[in-house]
Amino acid sequence: MHPILARLERLAGYLALWGAVGVFESAVLTQQGLTWPEALVQVLPPLLVYSFVCLSAWYVCRATPLATSGVPRVLTASIVAAWVGAALWLALNEAWLATLESMPQVTPIIPRFRTQIPFLFAVSVMLYLLVLSVHYVVLSFEAFRTAERQQLELQVLTRDAELRALRAQVDPHFLYNCLNSISALTGSDAAAARRMCLLLAEFLRTTLRVSMQQSITMAEELSLAERFLSIEQVRFGARLQVEQSIDEHALECQVPPLVLQPLLENAVGHGIAGMVEGGTIRLDVVRRGDRLSITVENPRDPDAVPRKRGGVGLENVRKRLAVVFGGAARMDAAASPTGFRVAIDLPSTVDA
Amino acid sequence: MPETSSLPLRVAVVDDEPLARAVLCEFLSVEPNVEVVAQCANGFEAVKAVSELTPDLLLLDVQMPKLDGFEVLDLVGRDVAVVFTTAYDQYALRAFEVHAVDYLLKPVSAERLSEALARVRERLDRGERSASPGAMAAAKPREGYAHRVLVRDGPRVHVIPVDKIDYVQAQDDYVCFRSEGKDYLKEQTLAEVETSLDPAAFVRIHRSYLLNLARLVRVDQDERENRVAVLTDGRRLPVSRAGYTRLNSLL
Repeated sequence: MHPILARLERLAGYLALWGAVGVFESAVLTQQGLTWPEALVQVLPPLLVYSFVCLSAWYVCRATPLATSGVPRVLTASIVAAWVGAALWLALNEAWLATLESMPQVTPIIPRFRTQIPFLFAVSVMLYLLVLSVHYVVLSFEAFRTAERQQLELQVLTRDAELRALRAQVDPHFLYNCLNSISALTGSDAAAARRMCLLLAEFLRTTLRVSMQQSITMAEELSLAERFLSIEQVRFGARLQVEQSIDEHALECQVPPLVLQPLLENAVGHGIAGMVEGGTIRLDVVRRGDRLSITVENPRDPDAVPRKRGGVGLENVRKRLAVVFGGAARMDAAASPTGFRVAIDLPSTVDA
Repeated sequence: MPETSSLPLRVAVVDDEPLARAVLCEFLSVEPNVEVVAQCANGFEAVKAVSELTPDLLLLDVQMPKLDGFEVLDLVGRDVAVVFTTAYDQYALRAFEVHAVDYLLKPVSAERLSEALARVRERLDRGERSASPGAMAAAKPREGYAHRVLVRDGPRVHVIPVDKIDYVQAQDDYVCFRSEGKDYLKEQTLAEVETSLDPAAFVRIHRSYLLNLARLVRVDQDERENRVAVLTDGRRLPVSRAGYTRLNSLL
């Protein structure tokens, strides 16, 4: 439905404007020798009906939007619509004059009315074009506002996705435990507390940054992993040991961000945290030809009751590898009573 | 002032993270009339500390190696008040079901700890210890059935995997778990044990007996027409009429 017809107060305003135009036209006619009542009687009724005809401009505007239609097309459509509209006005005017002719007291002045038709016709064409351009302006303004709102919505969505990515990657309980450690260190070793704050901030900032990227270098992923392990080492002390063997040639390889991180989180949470004496996490990164392999191994308590929540992080990694590489990457997880081992094998691409 | 309030509150702090213990001890050190009698890094140490030092209160982490906080409460909850400390809020409901006095979320604040201590003192002044008998059933894993049974023997804890249990026998206020030729007594009712174990593996063959189906060889009738279950080790257990019906429906 036309926006003006949809609301009564808009329609009233619109008609009032046309009324004013009618009075103006009549004023011009009084200069031509007509009296005010004569001029108003001739001009107003066809003009008010014509005001509704002009609303058709809205459909013309929508059928030939400025954004997608070329200038010739918009001009052609406008001129054709204006002429058709004005022709309708002409018909309306004729019908009105015919009605007036049947009234004896008006009949004598009809010939004087007819002399005004060319002027009124021209005004009708101009009015139609004016209404048309106003419609174009309003529509453009609306399109602009919609685009602005969509832009804003997109920003919100992006931010939301970022946060969700962060949430998915950083276990909130990891944060709570970290903060508890910082709180403890504040009392006993303020310098260590500060170090931990910085480590945590760096870890979060890097996590957020890389989770937005399509791929990062293995070196970046490893430095993130190192920060994570440093934080966990503050919590677990001597219980958490790490041994790593990193192939130098692997450092420049591109990997999806946060592909190693969940493996280590798993190794700490489901392995080391469940052992009284703790243990050693082994990390191996090897590049062989066009393949890159990442392996994380951790011991675990054979008597431990299997935890239900495990595996979400790993499942996430598996899905992401499938999205990025299709069948070209694989992840194997093997559990034994005393340990757990996850191996990722993926194409070793290097950014040119 | 009541006499109990003038005695120091004796606290054992149980957490596998040294820093988590440290912050609690720091807060406790400025609390009036509180004495930290033990710091334990795991559940076994906690049970031992309760037996040997009889603290009034355990500040108990939930996720720990070997025994988690709920298992520790299951073992010693009758002798000591328990306040859980954990980063996980999802255990809160279960904690109160097993009559923990309070539940502190990490990072722990000194004010919140003070409140918990006040609550513990209140309970002790009323002459209450912590867990009620219903605590045991609630100490089983939330979903599914128990993987193992824990039995406290003074300062020691026996961990019995459920598939190593031959049968469970009711004995007055206790139940006796028979496993690998040994008997383990635990203060619990047979009904509570029954609800914590997988009903497809353990069947109540008699008012006083819960049998591991894997140990059953056959059902005999003795000279007085009473049915008797014969186990793999030759042991014979009585089978009631209702127990026989239950057995038949499972076999």
